[in-house]
Parts: sequence; structure tokens; C-alpha cells
Amino acid sequence: MYRYIYIIPEAIGRSVLKICASIGRIAIFFYDFVVCLFTPPIYIKSLLGQLVRIGYNSLPVIGLTAFFTGGVLALQIYVGGSRFNAENIVASIVALGITRELGPVIAGLMLAGRVSASISAEIATMRVTEQIDALITLSTNPMKYLVVPRVLAAVISLPILVIIADIIGIMGGFVVGTKTLGFIEQSYIKNTLDIIELRDVMSGLIKAAVFGFIVAFMGCYHGYNSTGGAQGVGRSTTLAVVSASILILASNYILTSLVFTN
Amino acid sequence: MDHILKINELSKSFGDKSVLDNLSINIERNKSQVIIGGSGTGKSVLLKCILGLIEPDSGEIFFNQQILNKKNRADIDFHSKIGMLFQGAALFDSLNVQENITFGIKKLDSNHGNLIEIAVDKLKKVGLDSSVLYLYPSELSGGMQKRVALARAIARNPELLFFDEPTTGLDPIMADVINNLINEVIEEVGATAITITHDMESAKKIADKISMLYKGAVIWTGDAMDIKSSNNPYVDQFIKGSSDGPIKINPND
Ligand SMILES: Nc1ncnc2c1ncn2[C@@H]1O[C@H](COP(=O)(O)OP(=O)(O)OP(=O)(O)O)[C@@H](O)[C@H]1O
Ligand SMILES: [Mg+2]
Repeated sequence: MYRYIYIIPEAIGRSVLKICASIGRIAIFFYDFVVCLFTPPIYIKSLLGQLVRIGYNSLPVIGLTAFFTGGVLALQIYVGGSRFNAENIVASIVALGITRELGPVIAGLMLAGRVSASISAEIATMRVTEQIDALITLSTNPMKYLVVPRVLAAVISLPILVIIADIIGIMGGFVVGTKTLGFIEQSYIKNTLDIIELRDVMSGLIKAAVFGFIVAFMGCYHGYNSTGGAQGVGRSTTLAVVSASILILASNYILTSLVFTN
Repeated sequence: MDHILKINELSKSFGDKSVLDNLSINIERNKSQVIIGGSGTGKSVLLKCILGLIEPDSGEIFFNQQILNKKNRADIDFHSKIGMLFQGAALFDSLNVQENITFGIKKLDSNHGNLIEIAVDKLKKVGLDSSVLYLYPSELSGGMQKRVALARAIARNPELLFFDEPTTGLDPIMADVINNLINEVIEEVGATAITITHDMESAKKIADKISMLYKGAVIWTGDAMDIKSSNNPYVDQFIKGSSDGPIKINPND
């Protein structure tokens, strides 16, 4: 009977230990990554390939989501603004909302779905089919050959994708604003340009670089540590997407509240 | 006696399951050592411990009289002196056959034209021709993948070769080609080969020495020609392929 008293504390203890163990493993993985980042060789060809795969190939997805996000933002702000006769803020809020928050967060989340998943599935498959072991026996450090190019490519690509997402997102707001909400084109553009400052865009781009790191790093980490055959590949892919998405949203809040509140 | 590899009392468990149990074995230079043993007796784990892919719980491994541990493997550039054929081929999916074969050869050592020549040369050795050079692993049959993986293992002319079941999945004729190849590499290059196999035909053909693994330890080692007269009931049962004898198939193992 008294045994049951321990069930809950035991379960809590076990999960705390598990979390600590994963944090430790991630920290070790990160340390290895940093060491490999700063020691030769650097696989340039692999980096370029990943830039195309992670950056260029994500353009359509990111462009489309940004466009619709900008559009819907304009619609909603119009509804809200019109409740206190402030419809004119649509252009400004779309511009700030997209550059400071929605551009980087939506691009980051889309990349978490698209890139974390594919990186982790690829590396996990290499793990379970012993391709990672084969790399080692061919004198190639898998961290340098697989992880570093992917993470670097994501850190470089995501800010560039976010610049594009910003432009397309604002354009989405512009199209909806001028075509359905009846704003005048020149004044919409003027309102947009008046409100945006360099630091709004910069804060978004710094966030983007952080999110890019999270996306690729989580994909690599979960793929690299995958065990248990095809099922393990599926599990690590899910874990990669879920953990990348949560970390993006959490770090977004932390970055905004600590650094980018003005 | 000149031993290229000495393994002393190697143990490895996964959880509470002991796989290698104080295993000791010495490998003579320029000889072909075959390791036989039932499925799940720890043969692949033994190779992975030597290669540094799995960290053993205890025991020592010496390569050319130098101890092999994490640090030393890098210092003596161990991996550039060996070639490994994985049980499942483990070709890189994203690279074509030529890139797979020459993956371990640094660009600095040779110019690009040379890499293709090397690939063609190694392919010929494993009974394939240059028509497969630019195919991807997914476009090859299982047996072809195995042979390309073999070509990759010998591409750097290593002094020590590991073959994890080189002939499984091959037809008998191709298996014989591979057996001849293994003999050739040992003779021509003066390499040492450690081959894991279930295939007694192949073992007879390529082995100078045979060791039998059972429950994570070496229970018999001897010259290949002595295997018929080992007087060891385990070995006898294994080479006869009979289900009765001291080796019991335990579903929990
Ligand atoms: N990474 C691992 N984690 C847990 N257990 C493992 C791992 N690798 C191997 N094992 C276990 O170790 C035992 C020996 O495996 P190993 O692959 O060495 O067998 P083997 O002798 O090569 O068999 P086969 O002839 O079928 O290839 C198996 O029971 C396997 O379940
Ligand atoms: Mg095996």
C-alpha cells in the first residue's frame, strides 16, 4: 500500500534525470560541434550543396507563407483598427509585425518542418545503415562532414530567407490593403517606409540566424543519436521537428524580452 | 611471432546483456584470419570495438604493438591503414559509385582523373566494369552494393582489412570471385585480413587460421586445415551445420 506513495515522486525524479541527461548530451554534442567548426578541413562543396538544399529550395514555401501571413495580418488589423477608427495603422502594423516577429518566426517554423525533418531523417538513416560508421573508417569526421555544413548553411540561409519573407509579407499586406480594403497605394507604401527602422529589420535577422541554428542543430542532433531501425528514424524526425519548433518559440520570447523590446 | 593485432580480455555489454566476455585473440601479420560463429555471438561487435566505433567496457587492443584507444587511433592515423567492409555494405546513398570508392582518398594525394582510374581499377578487381561508375547505390542490386563496398574497402591499399560477411548475398560464382579477391589482396599487397563469415566454403578457401566465437569468447583457434579434426564439439556442430550438439538456439539470446 505504502509503495504507491512513491509512484509520483519516482516518476518526477525519473523525468528530471532524463531531461538532465538530454541536456548533457546536447551540451556535449554542441561542444564537439564548436571544436569541429574551428578546425580544418571544411567541406566547402558540402556547404554549398546544403545552402542550395536548405536555403534556395525553401524559397517557395517561405514566400507563400509570408505572402498569406502578410495578407491575413492586414485583414485582421483592419477589423481591429476600425473598432476605434484607426484603420490607417494597417500598413505600419503589418510592416512592424512582419519584420520584427512573423517573418523570422514563420520562416523558422516552416524551416523546422521542412529542414529539421529532412536533416534528421537523412542522418538517422545514415546512422542505422552504418554509413556514419563507414565515414569514420574512411578517416572522415562525421561531425565535420555532416553536421557543420548543415548548421552553417542554415545559419547563413535563414536570415536571407527572412529578408525575402519580409518583403513578400509586406507585399501581401499591400495587395490585400490596396485591393480589398481600399487603401491608396502611394500612402500605403509611404506609411510602411516611414515606420520601419533598421533595428526592426536587424532584430528579425538576428533572430533568424538563431532559429537557423536551432533548426539544423536539432535535426542533426536527433538524427545522429537515432537508434532502433526504421522506427527510430521516424522517432528522431518527430523529435527534431517538435524540439526545433518549441525552441524557436521559446528563444523568440527570450530574445524579444531581453534584447529587442525597443 | 609477428602479430599485427593483439586483443586482450575484451569485454562489452549492452545493458545487462554481455556480448563480448574477456575475449582474447592475436592476429598474425600477412595471414588471413577467419572468425566463425553463430548469429549474435558478437562478431560484428568485436570488429566495431577494434575500429573504435564501439567503446569496449574493458580490455586492450594493440595494433603494431601500439595501444589503440580513442586518442591513439587519431595519433597513429589508424583508419587510413585499414579497410572495412560492413555487413550491410553501408555505401553512401548520396554519392555515386565512383565517389563512394574513392571517398577515403584525399584529393591532395592524386588529381581528379586519377580518382576515376582508381575507381575503375578497383571495380575490375571485384568483378564489375566501368558502366556502374556513375550509378547511385539505390540503383544497384544487393550483391553489387556489396562488391562496390569491397572496392571501397581496398581502395586505399590498407595493411589491415576487415570483412564482415563478404560473401553473404552473393551467388556462388560471385562468392568465389570475392574469395579469390581476398586471397589476391593478401598476397599482392601483403595485407592482413580478418574475415567474419558463416560460409564454410568461403572460410576453407580463404583462411590461414580460423577462430570460432561462442558466447562472446574464442573457443577454438587453429590452422584452417585442422578444422575438420578439431575434436571440439562446438566447432564440429558448426561446420556440420547441425541443430543438435552443444550449441543450443535460445530464443532469448
Ligand atoms: N548497438 C547495440 N546496442 C545494443 N545491443 C547490441 C548493439 N550492437 C549489437 N548488439 C547485440 O550484441 C549481440 C551481438 O551482435 P553482433 O552484431 O556482434 O552479432 P554477430 O555475431 O555479428 O551476428 P551476425 O552473424 O548475425 O551478424 C546481439 O545480440 C545484438 O543484439
Ligand atoms: Mg554481424
